[in-house]
Amino acid sequence: MKRLFDWIIERFIFLCGILAVIFVALIFLFLLREGVSFFGSYSPIKFVGGIYWYPTSDPPQFGIISLIVGSLFVTVLAACLAIPLGVATALFIAEIAPRWLKDVLKTVIELLAAIPSVVIGFIGMVTLVPLVRQALNLPTGLSAFSGALMLGFMALPTIVTISEDAIRTVPWSYKEGAIALGATRWQTMYRIILPAALPGILGAVMLGVGRVIGETMAVMMITGNAAHIPGSVFDPVRTMTATIAAEMGETVRGSPHYEALFAIGLVLFVITFIVNFTADTFLRKARR
Amino acid sequence: MVEKIKVERFTCWYYDVLALQAITLAVHEHEILGIIGPANSGKTSFIRSLNRLNDLNLTFRKQGTVLLDGKDIYAMNPEALRRRVGMVFAMPLSLPMSVYDNVAYGPRRHGRRGKKRLDETVEKALVAASLWDEMKDRLSDSALKLSGGQQQRLCLARTLAVEPEVILFDEPCSGLDPISTAKVEETMLELKQKYTMVLVTNNIKQASRVSDRTAFFLSGELVEIDVPSRLFVTPRDKRTEDYVTGRFG
Repeated sequence: MKRLFDWIIERFIFLCGILAVIFVALIFLFLLREGVSFFGSYSPIKFVGGIYWYPTSDPPQFGIISLIVGSLFVTVLAACLAIPLGVATALFIAEIAPRWLKDVLKTVIELLAAIPSVVIGFIGMVTLVPLVRQALNLPTGLSAFSGALMLGFMALPTIVTISEDAIRTVPWSYKEGAIALGATRWQTMYRIILPAALPGILGAVMLGVGRVIGETMAVMMITGNAAHIPGSVFDPVRTMTATIAAEMGETVRGSPHYEALFAIGLVLFVITFIVNFTADTFLRKARR
Repeated sequence: MVEKIKVERFTCWYYDVLALQAITLAVHEHEILGIIGPANSGKTSFIRSLNRLNDLNLTFRKQGTVLLDGKDIYAMNPEALRRRVGMVFAMPLSLPMSVYDNVAYGPRRHGRRGKKRLDETVEKALVAASLWDEMKDRLSDSALKLSGGQQQRLCLARTLAVEPEVILFDEPCSGLDPISTAKVEETMLELKQKYTMVLVTNNIKQASRVSDRTAFFLSGELVEIDVPSRLFVTPRDKRTEDYVTGRFG
């Protein structure tokens, strides 16, 4: 009886573990199926290399370069804002802030992560967008820049919380050793604590950037959604995620447009996979 | 006899718990001062006060003075002080980098650049810590791969590379086997020509082997300080006698 129970529990846990793998594989297969049937009727080169995204004209044009560039602009800019700010904040919380401030900051930052992205998008739309337009004297504040500001803000909690954990777990003895050799507080942080915490910080950055790439709601509301190649970061852009979300509702199931959106999903999947894979390789190297 | 360090009525607390009580003693130049005493006797608090490592503890408070060459260390720049007063810890504290980078860490932080000069400094420090012969072909290995005894001597080399005047040892052999311990002790005796050393140890025999004078701490008080031949054979205080004969604690 007891052995049977053990057997059942063991299988159950195994099933739970394997389930995640199965889901990922299924999602990939599904995307692949829809995407491949799209590429049967539309050349992949024209898809990835085409400039024009006119899904409803006749004949339709499904070029996603402008969408890729849009996603890239927003993601890179958001990462440039969020990574230094996030790591610096984590360092401040873990190493410099007095006890009471540390508690306040951690709570507030964790609260930030709990705000739904629609709310952040909405707040950005009514406050940040007009501000950007006025301050920079632009025709519209709906731009890659505004989107990146908001997304950077959304990636902060992830980056700060996980980096702070990584920094805090650096053995106290490393710090003491460096201080005892006459290193200053800053030298100790920069030369000892940051390198020792680097694998964890990279992981934090990876998760934060992952959130930025996949974010849909806020970017759709703030970036202006113009499917053209932006001349600068202050132009409106449209990301891949926003395209899927905005157009999926108005396509006919099984139509080329419908399948084209799945093909975008496939491209997104491949990009996130590459990002994760590279980050993972770096992490493994850093640990060794 | 030149007094390198002079401690006068030094009292300190963590939170509000008294850790040291009006300690007055001097460390002579080129001597090894041994400090013995049971746990919680204040010996670690004492040497951590000599390089102001206690400053890291925000609950630390102190009274009294510590003079290095006649100057108050608590009025000095703490980084500059720690360059002159190095420390070797109980647990070998190799930093997660190569052997070479470990030893070069201090000199680099203090602005010494130039490959040739650094190479010289590293070699000199490793020779002085009797580690050069074992390490000369392994300089780029990770320091974390060395044995405990090697790591401890590496920490000593790292401290020496900063070219301090005083070296504090906080139970440097507590995690080492007898052979490694003997090597560290041998190294300390060789270093006496150039440095002033303070050795905190739990090992009474070690104190009697290595130190020129030994101080006995108990409950934050300095009970007695004398040359080992007297302190261990004919102590003046009953508590010292009980401790060194093992009747105690």
